[in-house]
Amino acid sequence: MDIQLKRGLLDVCVLAAIQDTDSYGYQIIKDMKPYVSISESTLYPILRRLEAAELLTVHAVEHNGRLRKYYHITEAGRARIAAFAEEWKEIMSIYQFVVRGEQKHE
Amino acid sequence: MNKQQFLAAIRQRIGSLPQQDIDRSIDFYAEMIDDRIEEGLSEEEAVAAMGTPEEIAAQILSENPRTQRPAAAPKSARGLKAWEIVLLIIGSPLWVPLLLAAAIIVLSLYIVLWSVIIVLYAADLCFVAGAISGIFGATVLFCTGQAAQALLFLGAGITCIGLTVLWFVLSTAAAKGVWLLTKLPFTHRKGDAQ
Repeated sequence: MDIQLKRGLLDVCVLAAIQDTDSYGYQIIKDMKPYVSISESTLYPILRRLEAAELLTVHAVEHNGRLRKYYHITEAGRARIAAFAEEWKEIMSIYQFVVRGEQKHE
Repeated sequence: MNKQQFLAAIRQRIGSLPQQDIDRSIDFYAEMIDDRIEEGLSEEEAVAAMGTPEEIAAQILSENPRTQRPAAAPKSARGLKAWEIVLLIIGSPLWVPLLLAAAIIVLSLYIVLWSVIIVLYAADLCFVAGAISGIFGATVLFCTGQAAQALLFLGAGITCIGLTVLWFVLSTAAAKGVWLLTKLPFTHRKGDAQ
């Protein structure tokens, strides 16, 4: 898959993984696994980037005597997911157009 | 590899980053390993699931735009690059005469300074000559019976002796000053090298 496209998709997937409830790194990876496999070294820069863009915030919660970082989606983060959904409606209609063209040739 | 070794290996490879970024990265991977151990994996298995420290460090460095600056600094200390040498050679018709002119200007400044010292000592020699001729003249005039003129010459001669001594002290002080000034750039360079 195109690397820029995949990057944008993963950003939105991570936001989607925390949209219902705050979550932590390993849980995000597990939640995404059925749809897209992502490694720790891929997730880390995405989380940093989303935090820098203020699409999510980070807070530490004590868990079993250590600190675990939880990620919380911001309003801007939710807006990003909504924008993604809108964009993809458009992309899907283009997809339909492209695929129809292919079928005619067969 | 256990968790501590793994994290130390990453930390070592991303040492050029700001401390805050290093700590955040290490905390993140420590948390990931702990979460896997909590789920039932052994420490070794949890570490192995992360990948190699080399890969992770490379990933962290590539995502951090600040990495480039510390990496560029040691390069410049390694001496001249090929293109710099080429530039030096191509530019030589320009910078060689300029450098030569600068050297000549500095040299002429030194010559001017030392000329002043030579003039001072020459003036002192004149006083010596004045003293000798004054005393000599006084003797001759005294022998020919012209006492008044002889007294005048004697006075002039003695004045010249006094001036010779005073002037010599002054000239020597000035010479010392110029000598220090001449040495100054060289002593400075020594100080810088230390």
